[in-house]
Amino acid sequence: MAEATATFDVRRKGTAGVVDIQGDVTAGSEEVLMNAYESTGDITAVILNFTGLSYMNSGGIGLLVTLLVRARRRSQRLLAYGLSEHYRQIFELTRLDEAIGIHDTEQDALAATGAA
Amino acid sequence: MVALSSTFRRLRRRTAAGAGHRVPEQRSHPVPDDEATPVDIAPNDPLLAYLQSASGAVDVEALELDSPALAELKAAGVKLAVPLVSQGELIGVLHLGPRRSEQEYSSDDRKLLDNLAAQAAPALRVGQLVRQQQAEARTRQRFEQELEVARLIQQNFLPKTLPELSGWQVAACYQPAREVGGDFYDVIPLAGGQVGFVIGDVTDKGVPAALVMAATRSVLRASAQRLIDPGAVLERVNEHLCPDMPAKMFVTCLYGVLDPATGHFRFANAGHDLPYVKTAEGSVELRARGMPLGLMTGMKYEERETLLAPGESLLLHSDGIVEAHDPQGQMFGFPRLKELVARYPGGGELIDLVLADLHAHTGPDAEQEDDITMVVLQREPAQSDSPNGKVIGKLLVEFEVPSVEGNERMALERVAATVVPLGLAPARLRRLETAVAEATMNAMEHGNSYRADRPVTVRVYAEPGRIRVEVADLGGARLAPGQAEVPDLEAKLAGLQRPRGWGLFLIKNMVDEARETGDGERHTVELVMHLEPESKEGGDDDDT
Repeated sequence: MAEATATFDVRRKGTAGVVDIQGDVTAGSEEVLMNAYESTGDITAVILNFTGLSYMNSGGIGLLVTLLVRARRRSQRLLAYGLSEHYRQIFELTRLDEAIGIHDTEQDALAATGAA
Repeated sequence: MVALSSTFRRLRRRTAAGAGHRVPEQRSHPVPDDEATPVDIAPNDPLLAYLQSASGAVDVEALELDSPALAELKAAGVKLAVPLVSQGELIGVLHLGPRRSEQEYSSDDRKLLDNLAAQAAPALRVGQLVRQQQAEARTRQRFEQELEVARLIQQNFLPKTLPELSGWQVAACYQPAREVGGDFYDVIPLAGGQVGFVIGDVTDKGVPAALVMAATRSVLRASAQRLIDPGAVLERVNEHLCPDMPAKMFVTCLYGVLDPATGHFRFANAGHDLPYVKTAEGSVELRARGMPLGLMTGMKYEERETLLAPGESLLLHSDGIVEAHDPQGQMFGFPRLKELVARYPGGGELIDLVLADLHAHTGPDAEQEDDITMVVLQREPAQSDSPNGKVIGKLLVEFEVPSVEGNERMALERVAATVVPLGLAPARLRRLETAVAEATMNAMEHGNSYRADRPVTVRVYAEPGRIRVEVADLGGARLAPGQAEVPDLEAKLAGLQRPRGWGLFLIKNMVDEARETGDGERHTVELVMHLEPESKEGGDDDDT
């Protein structure tokens, strides 16, 4: 099993859960990310904070797809902020930006969820 | 009544006999008129010692010595021998035959002769010295003339002009030493636009070396037109030269054929100093084995090939550079020349750089020891190269990554560190990094099944205007499973495709060109990134 290379700390902001990502998001991050997601409890939106992201590969993108599927099942919105231009381009390329709301700052993301 | 000699070896005799004088019957070699055959006095003949110490004219007939010369003088009818001594040195002998009156020489006659000898000897000595100096001057003049002839031959056989090759700069330098050596170079137009380049050095100096050089050049020119392969050309030249090569002489020679269109340079080397190529990574020696020309028949010459990429320079040189001494006796040496080529920034004249450093080494007043010859082939940088000339095609780095999960970061970081100096925009560098990481992941997983003993090989090439990265695994010809499909987010979200499977999609979209090849054993993904973005990418590249 792949080793976890990132940490995912969860903060509750109103009805949204903010996940602070730190490190490398790869396929090996699945268990840690999903545990973090499950720990958010009863929320309407999940906001991924990518400002601490150092590297994400296709395995990490697959992980986001899995997370997106789960969030949709729970009718939760998925948002993100703090993405570098490079990863913004990858989100556009994979059309993840159509399914995940991309914002510049946490305030913007929170405002978009109406949870602020 | 004159006799003199200029050397001990050949002392000439003149009899005093005039016209109608009776030739002595005992003369062994009759000669016409007054002329008498010269009498050789060997250096060890006791007559010489006797004459040296004699106080005046010597009565030949009365003298008893075991001397072949004396016997010959007696046989020739010589009556008196008058030594000519100057500063204690016997410089000649005056020989007199019988008096015309047929009377014996009186004591007055002898006094007169002694006085004459005393005055004639210094005059004769002066004459001898003048002749000696004239002879030495003639020798010097002959030597200078010989040097001039050698120079003329040498220069006559050097190319008058250098070819103008599109995309190339060709330069040459030939500086003969005062005592002309046997250096030469040549440029030979060949069929199909190819060009032959020659540099050589004949052992020995002066006219002999110049003649051998001329012969070598002629045979090489003729052979180069008939045979294309440099190894075969040198083999033919060697066979031609061997039978007539003077003893202890031979020729070192490098012959290479350049295809200006592609930059391919095929070469063979007959014991000549190794050429250097200035590449992106420094200077590289071009090695090929072969014996000097003219030593023995039946020699084979290894043939090698290199690619001179845009921006690269090839230096052919003679030993007059590396063997030049400084005032302390230290040679310039190969390492210094190699280092100099490595430091060459391109653009200007490599020849000027070498000459300047060489003169700094030898000092301003040093006489040039040997011929100095250089030929430089410089391929102009491609138009799309970065203006500072740093991009010059070649393998920049090759490394292996053990197939262990997470190791794609190792490949990514190594590639990034390698290409950073090439000036790729930061955003494009990030895209290349992602593509390299994804390709390495695929190679580790699908090609090598994440077995640490099956490494992934990564090679980075700097090519004109672009960077090319090869990522190779041991998976043979294959497509990564599940990657043939185009990933679609909607399909994934609908559960019609698995969430993963973005790797190849990312690779293809991150770089300007991506290709897969397989040879049954190895599977290789080739990633190409242009240094300047294509226009469609517009202003996407200002990311940091």
